[in-house]
Amino acid sequence: MSRQQGSPAEEARYRALQDLDPRGENLLEVLIAGLHDESWRVRHAAADGLQRLSTPTPGEVAARLVRVLGERGETGARNAAAEALSGLGLEALGPLVTLLGHVDPDQRKFAADILGQLGRREAEASLVQALSDVDLNVRVSVAESLGRVGGEHAARVLERLLGDSEPLMRLSALEGLASLKQPPALSLVEPLLNDARLRRSVFRVLGLIPRAAATEHLCVGLSSEARSVREAALAALGTQAALMTSELRGEQDAVIREALLRLPDARARLARALEAEDVAVRAGALVAVAASGDASLAVPVAEVAREDRLLRDVLSTLGRLGPEGGRVLLAAMAELSAPARAAAVESLVDLVDPSSVTPLCALLEWAEDDLRGVVVRALGRTRSAEAASPLVDLLRDSVTAGAATRALGVLAGSCRSAVVAALQDAVERRATPASVAVLARVGGRPALPLLRRLARDEDPRWRAAAVDVAGEVDGGVGRELARAALADEAVPVRAAGVRAMGRLGGSDAGALLRPALQDEDVFVRRVAVEAVGESGASDRAADLEALVRHPDGALARASVRALSRLGLMGMRVLREASEHPDPEVVKAVLSAVSGEGLALAVSLLEHPHWDVRAAAARVLGESGGPECLEPVRRALEAETDVLPRQALADAVARVSRR
Amino acid sequence: MARFDDSRPEMTAEEFRLLRDHVYSHCGILVHEDMKFVMERRLWPRLEALGALDFSAYHRYLRYDANRHVELEAAVESLTTHETYFFREPSQLKAFREELFPLLEKRNARTRRLRLWSAGCSSGEEAYTLAMLLKDERRFDDWDVEVYGTDISRRVLTMARRAEYGPSALRATSADLLERFFVPVPAAPTKVRVRDDVRAMVSFGHHNLLDETGSQLVAKMDAVFCRNVMIYFDQSARRKVLRILRDRLVPGGYLLLGHSENLLNLGADFELVHLRGDLVYRRPELPGLTGGEPR
Ligand SMILES: C[S@@+](CC[C@H](N)C(=O)[O-])C[C@H]1O[C@@H](n2cnc3c(N)ncnc32)[C@H](O)[C@@H]1O
Repeated sequence: MSRQQGSPAEEARYRALQDLDPRGENLLEVLIAGLHDESWRVRHAAADGLQRLSTPTPGEVAARLVRVLGERGETGARNAAAEALSGLGLEALGPLVTLLGHVDPDQRKFAADILGQLGRREAEASLVQALSDVDLNVRVSVAESLGRVGGEHAARVLERLLGDSEPLMRLSALEGLASLKQPPALSLVEPLLNDARLRRSVFRVLGLIPRAAATEHLCVGLSSEARSVREAALAALGTQAALMTSELRGEQDAVIREALLRLPDARARLARALEAEDVAVRAGALVAVAASGDASLAVPVAEVAREDRLLRDVLSTLGRLGPEGGRVLLAAMAELSAPARAAAVESLVDLVDPSSVTPLCALLEWAEDDLRGVVVRALGRTRSAEAASPLVDLLRDSVTAGAATRALGVLAGSCRSAVVAALQDAVERRATPASVAVLARVGGRPALPLLRRLARDEDPRWRAAAVDVAGEVDGGVGRELARAALADEAVPVRAAGVRAMGRLGGSDAGALLRPALQDEDVFVRRVAVEAVGESGASDRAADLEALVRHPDGALARASVRALSRLGLMGMRVLREASEHPDPEVVKAVLSAVSGEGLALAVSLLEHPHWDVRAAAARVLGESGGPECLEPVRRALEAETDVLPRQALADAVARVSRR
Repeated sequence: MARFDDSRPEMTAEEFRLLRDHVYSHCGILVHEDMKFVMERRLWPRLEALGALDFSAYHRYLRYDANRHVELEAAVESLTTHETYFFREPSQLKAFREELFPLLEKRNARTRRLRLWSAGCSSGEEAYTLAMLLKDERRFDDWDVEVYGTDISRRVLTMARRAEYGPSALRATSADLLERFFVPVPAAPTKVRVRDDVRAMVSFGHHNLLDETGSQLVAKMDAVFCRNVMIYFDQSARRKVLRILRDRLVPGGYLLLGHSENLLNLGADFELVHLRGDLVYRRPELPGLTGGEPR
C-alpha cells in the first residue's frame, strides 16, 4: 500500500455516512451508493448504516442488498453487501434462501457463504437441500456453512459426505463437523488419515473424540516433518484432554508418553510448541509436557502463563512436574516474566520440600507483594523447622501477616516446638502483636500468664492482641480481660473487648455491650452490633432496630443480620430495611425473610440491582409457595441479565414442583 | 485447627459478577466469564492479606471499608497483566522511527519540542524504549524532548522509576542496544539499569485512562503509545479512553495501538494512516492546517 491515507474527500464521504440519522427517509439508495465507494472505510460505514435503517423494512433492505450481490465486476460492493446482509440477521434469511436457487452458481455460492455467517438454525433445511447443487464450489460452501448453522440433521448429512468422491467435499465435511463439535464415529475418520491433504482437518475432528484410540492417531502426527501437522496434532490433543475425565486422561497420558519416548527430539519440539503463536497449540503442548513429566521444561511451561486463558493448564502442568520441576523454577525465578513468576510461585506451594526454605526466603527478598503471600504459604508447607523463624518475622509485615499466621499453623503440624519457640522469642522482643494470636493458638494454656501481662501493656496494640485471643485459651480469663477492655481509652482495645464479649456471650453480655452500641467511634459500633448478634443478647433488639435505618450501609446491614440471627426480625423493620439505598442492606433483608416476608421478596424481583433480583429469586425458589409462581415467571420473562435469569429459571422449576 | 486451614475459598458465580462489576466501573477493565479462575487466583492473596474469609466478605470490604480505595487499587493491580518488555513489536517501532520521526521533526521544527506518551506504561520498558529510539535518532539531539509514562498501577510505577530490569524484560533487546543503553547493577548479577541520560528523558505519573479530569493534567502530546492496554476494555470504555486520548493529542498527532487492536467500529475520532511498515491512527488536522503531512 502506498504511503498515504484517505484523501480529504474520502474523509468527507466517510463522515457523511457516519453522521446519517438511521431514522431518516430515502437513505437506502444513498447507502447503496456508499457500498460502491472506492474506499473500504466508506463501504464499511455504508454496510453499517444499512443494518440500522428504520425505513424501508429490514426485509426490503435485504432484498435490495441481494441485488447488489448480482453486480459482476463490483467486488468491493458485493463484499460490503454480504457484510451488511450477515449483519441483518433473520430478516436476510428469506432472500438468501431464494438466492440459493439462482441460475448463476456464483450467486448461489454467495448465498451459501452468507447463510453460514448468519449462523441461524432456520437455514439448515435449505442448505441440506443445496448439497445436491451441480456446482462443486457451491457444494463446498454449503458444507462449510452447514458447519456453522447446522444441528443434528446437518451433522448426519456431513458424515455421509466423508465418503464423497471429491476430496474438497470430504475436506469441507470434516471442517463442518469440527465446527459443529459433532465428531463422527472413529471408523469413519480412520480411512481419511491416509490422505495428506485432509490430515489437519482429520486431527481437528479426532480431538473431539475422547478415546485413547483417537489419541494414538494424533500421536502419529507429533512426529510429522510438517510443522503445521504437528501443531494441528498438538492442538487436537489439547481439545481432547479438555473433554476427558481424569481416568481417560490417564490413558491419554500413557499413549502420549509412549509416543514422545520414540521421538528423538521431543524436548526441543515441545519447547518450540510452548511458544507457538496459536493458543490452542500451546494448550496442547502443555498436555504433552504434563504427560512426559519432563521437569526441564518447567520454565517454558511457566512462560505460557503470559496467556491468561491458559493459567489453569499451566498450573496443572507444573503440578505434574513434581519437586524437581519446583527446583528448576526456584532457580530460574529471577529470569521469568511477571505472569510466569506468578504462576510458578503458585505452583510451588504444592512442589516444595525442606530443601526449598533457603531459595524461598531469597525469593521473599525481592518478590512483588502479591507473590509474597504465596511464597509465605509455600514456606508453611516445607515441613522444615528452619521455616519457623522467617515466618514469624513476616508477621511484622501487614501485607504478609495473615498468610504467615496461617502458614505457621500449618507448619506447627509438623514442627510445633520450633514454631512455639520462635513465637515466644518474638513476643519477648515485642516484635509484633500479631505473634500473640498465633502463640495463643499454637501454644495453648501455658501462654496464659503472658497474655495477662500483655493485657496491661502500655502499647494498645499489645493490649488488643491479648484481649482478642485470651478467650480462646481460657473462657474465664478471656471474660475478665474483655470486661476491662470495654472501658479502655483506645479504639482497637475497645473493639477487641467487644469482639471477645460477643464470642463469650453470657447473660450479662447485652448489658455490657450496651455502651459500645453508642460508642463515639463508628467502627466500635459496627463491631458491637455484630457482637450482639453473636452473643444472643436479645435484650438489645431495640437498639439494633434503630440502627437498621442508619445511613452507613455497613452498620445498617450488620444490624439486619444481627436481628435475624437473634430471631427478632419483625415485618415492619424488614420493610424499612428493604428500602435502604444500599443494595447490600437489601440483600441482607432477603436472607432474613421467611413466611410473611415472601411477599417482600416478590416485590424485590423488580429491584434495580441485578444481584438483589437474583437473591430475591433464590429466596423464592427456596421457600416460595405456588402463589409465587406467577410473579416469578413474569420476572423471568422480563429479565435480561444472565445470573438473575438463572436464579429465576431455577425458582420457577422448584416452585412448580411444590 | 480450622483457623489454620490453608485451603482457599472458591468464587461463586455471583461473587464473580459483583467483583467484576465493581472493577469495571472503576477502570473499564472487563473480566470475561471464562476468566473467573484467573480472577479467583489473583485475588486470593488480597483476601489473605485482609483476612477476608470469602469473596463476599472481600466484596463488602471493597464497598464499605475505610480503606476501600486503597484496596480497590490493589485489586485492580493484581487483575491487570503487566506483561511488557523493551523493544516490543519491533516492526511498529521501526515504522515509527523511519516514517514518523521525519514528519514530527518537520512539523515541530519551529518549537523544537517533542512529547511522547506511553499510556499504560507498566513497569516502564515501553517509555524507556521510546527514549532510546529518540536518542538514537540524532535529529532530535538538542531538542526539548520528553517521554511521559503513566499507569493505573502504582506498584509498576515504582518499578519504572527504579529502572532495573532482568532477562525477561530484555528478551527482545539486542546485545548492541544492551551495551549502549544499560549499565550493570552491581548487587544483582542478572539485572541491568537504564543509563541515567535515558532516564533523564522520561518521567512517570499515576493516571487512570478513564479519568477525564485527571487527564487534563497531561500535556498535549505529539504521539501516544497505548499498546496492549485496551484489550481488557469493552467497547464503551474503549470509546471513552479514545476520546480522552484524542483530546490529549495535538491535531495531527499519532496514536499507536498494539498490533492486535484496532479502532474499526469505534467511530471517526481518528483517521487511519497507512505507513509502509504499519498502520497507525491520527487525530485529524484542523481544517486548512495540513502542511508536512503524508498525503
Ligand atoms: C499489558 S501492559 C502493557 C504495557 C505496555 N504498554 C506494552 O505494550 O508493553 C498493560 C498496562 O495497562 C495498565 N492499565 C490497565 N488499565 C488501565 C487504566 N484504566 N488506566 C491506566 N492504565 C491501565 C495496566 O496496569 C498495565 O500495566
